[in-house]
Amino acid sequence: MIVHINHISQTKKKTGKPSQLGELASLVTGSLVNFVEDGVLDASLAPSLRIHLDWIQYRTNFRDPVCVRRTTDPQGRPMALAEIAIDLRQADPAQLVLQLGRALQSVGPTSATDDGRVYLDDFRPYRDCMIWDFNRLFWQHLGEWEAASGRGFEAALPSGKSDANHPEAVADSITEFWELLKKLEDRGQLPGEIPALEIGVGSGARAAAWMDGFKALDEQKGTGYYAKLQFILGDYSATTLERAVTALARHAGHVSAAPLNALNPFKALSAYRFKVMYVHATNVYDNLPFDDLVRRDGRLYLVEVRAYLSSVAVDRLSADFGLPRNDFPTVVKRLLEEGPGGIFPGERGVAFWRCLWDYFRLEERLRALDDREESHVPPGLSWSHLEDLLTEAPEDVRFHISRGAAESFANTLPLLHPRGYLQVQDIFVEHMDEYRKGFKGPGKLDGSLVAWVNGALLRAVGARAGYDVHFAPFPYRPGTKTTVMYTTQRP
Amino acid sequence: MKLPLLPTTVIGSYSMPEWLERAKNDYLSRRLSRRDLDEMHDAVRKAAIKDQEMAGIDIVTDGELQRDNMIDYFTERLPGVQVDLGSKRFYYDFYESVVRSKLATGSLGLVEEVRFVKRFTERAQKISVSGPHTLVKRIRNQFYPTEEAFALDLGRSLNFELKELARAGATELQIDEPYYSGFPEDLPWAVKAINAAVEGVDANVTLHICYGNRYGKPSFEGSYRYLFPTILQAKVHALSLEFARRGEEDLELFREFNAPFTLGLGVIDVKTQEVEPPTLVADRIRRALEIVPVERLVINPDCGCVHLSRDVAFNKLAAMVEGTRIVRKDFGQS
Repeated sequence: MIVHINHISQTKKKTGKPSQLGELASLVTGSLVNFVEDGVLDASLAPSLRIHLDWIQYRTNFRDPVCVRRTTDPQGRPMALAEIAIDLRQADPAQLVLQLGRALQSVGPTSATDDGRVYLDDFRPYRDCMIWDFNRLFWQHLGEWEAASGRGFEAALPSGKSDANHPEAVADSITEFWELLKKLEDRGQLPGEIPALEIGVGSGARAAAWMDGFKALDEQKGTGYYAKLQFILGDYSATTLERAVTALARHAGHVSAAPLNALNPFKALSAYRFKVMYVHATNVYDNLPFDDLVRRDGRLYLVEVRAYLSSVAVDRLSADFGLPRNDFPTVVKRLLEEGPGGIFPGERGVAFWRCLWDYFRLEERLRALDDREESHVPPGLSWSHLEDLLTEAPEDVRFHISRGAAESFANTLPLLHPRGYLQVQDIFVEHMDEYRKGFKGPGKLDGSLVAWVNGALLRAVGARAGYDVHFAPFPYRPGTKTTVMYTTQRP
Repeated sequence: MKLPLLPTTVIGSYSMPEWLERAKNDYLSRRLSRRDLDEMHDAVRKAAIKDQEMAGIDIVTDGELQRDNMIDYFTERLPGVQVDLGSKRFYYDFYESVVRSKLATGSLGLVEEVRFVKRFTERAQKISVSGPHTLVKRIRNQFYPTEEAFALDLGRSLNFELKELARAGATELQIDEPYYSGFPEDLPWAVKAINAAVEGVDANVTLHICYGNRYGKPSFEGSYRYLFPTILQAKVHALSLEFARRGEEDLELFREFNAPFTLGLGVIDVKTQEVEPPTLVADRIRRALEIVPVERLVINPDCGCVHLSRDVAFNKLAAMVEGTRIVRKDFGQS
């Protein structure tokens, strides 16, 4: 049996006394030995059992405090390897040993958990699972959620606000862009039209601040670049675009709205191939579909998930909303298709949606990948490139394949002018070994979700497309986990 | 060899198979022997020639798939250029290379390419070399007082090779200079270096100037206007320029400056996997014919096909040939 301590960072001051986290970890390891000695855990299963001690950064997420992951072969037949993951942050010390004992009794390949949970779906890779339907629902019905919660979606971010709008960051971005244009002009290479693109425009506040600042700087320098500037607002939500265009009304004539899928900006903007001088996105990549891969003992597994509600959750939702227990899979499907109003009219529908999301959980299993399988390989890369990425990774690791981010990135780069650049503010895992140092998502943010973005993967995608990808800390807010990713042309 | 009206050709490189990229990387990591890699190269070169023949190309190349990129293939061969062979893991990257003393005169070994391509095709053949300006921009100079001096000596060195190629039977030679477009201020001495390279070379020489094709994207943008009138001093037979991706606006420069060159007209955009219909190719040729006489027009893609998938590259070349045949009919030829 191998115990993984996946949370490696200092979270308390040195006092010389054990922390609650340490005590919980001791409780787990001590209990494990007892369980083996008492015969609770079949000794023949112990060698292929992994115990993971996590500390999940997101207070709301998709996991119960103790959860079991079984493994299957590529065809779905049970295999010996099993994992028990414990979130030391959520774990209740009074319940932990009991929960761990139950989990151990269920790890055998043929053991089944029947704790009354209601499954909402079949096992699927993360990229295809129901969370993305919930995510879409949230952005489609954002106003209703915000009205019910009494706060804007940016307030749900860990910092309570978006780093996109940070005034100093915006000012530096403007200066950097102006300097690029000046260099081009000095070489006689300034294009007649200067397109800039923001993907994921939010309220339009950042774009408005950026345009205000750029116009002011251009006037101060007397360079006349603003007259050539065409700022494209790109978002898949028509409502969001309308709101942003309104916020930028004072720059009418220099602003256009482009309804686009963040996964493929090039499709909507192909007329701008090799012309866009500046692309910016904040907190877009962390909200795009991903997969999780696990490498154990040299073998690669794809994490598959199955949505469920615990028995307790179903009881509460039934009692509060008068819905029969067996109807939940159908009700959830209807919610995702018709929106909250399709379940209950008005605020009650939103209240049900919010409670359901709160209780919503994902059960995981690890499916061994067939050597020939390629469905998990993201656009922009091939299986052999993924192999290269794996050579950088620790032998024993679980990591994201940020396929949505990779697809978006790969489909944005062809828009860039040879001297243009892309800047993305987001939460990135820059090197593969960082995946062994802490939980990287997914977590819940109000009605949507967030997962850290595999920066090493984007680096590989960029290299294939002729760009070096760099990461720099976001210097404007101490303690932030935001990183700025930017591209430069490979020589 | 008599060529048809509006002869078709390629710029040089053909589609690079992903498995070959992998093999090249494996060679750099010492997981594949030079001998095995050379055998692979020979196989893909033969396949590239065959594909071009099947597509109907009149002047073919060997696909240049044995070249890692347009720089390293030459820096590895240029006598006097020191190359750090451990400085890259990905074949397409550039080696760190430096010149610390005057370049010696010696063969670059490209004659083998002439022999190879002659062995496997009866069509007219073309061999391309990277130009002195391009090489100057990628080789660190620790000897020559100026870039111009370095380029002129590179021109001398390339001249030796171009004469060797002509002696070996090469009738169509091409010099690639994609960096002109990024450094237009260098053009006066860059043209002098070209003239040094082609002095006394008994072959048709085409000067290919594009906006770059590294990783299938342009390295520079702008207008070909910077070329004129300086480029008129270049002692080459033809200029091969990029028009399909950028539009034909700059064709007017040929009229405006009464350029005497044959024009290698780029009619295929090699930076998109979308295959042009032959009718579009024909339209592009006809627009060029409004400015350049038919006997001074050669039809080619904008640049090399190295970043296109093989089926796309083949289909684009086939469309280019078909589009050219449509226009030939206007002149009573098929």
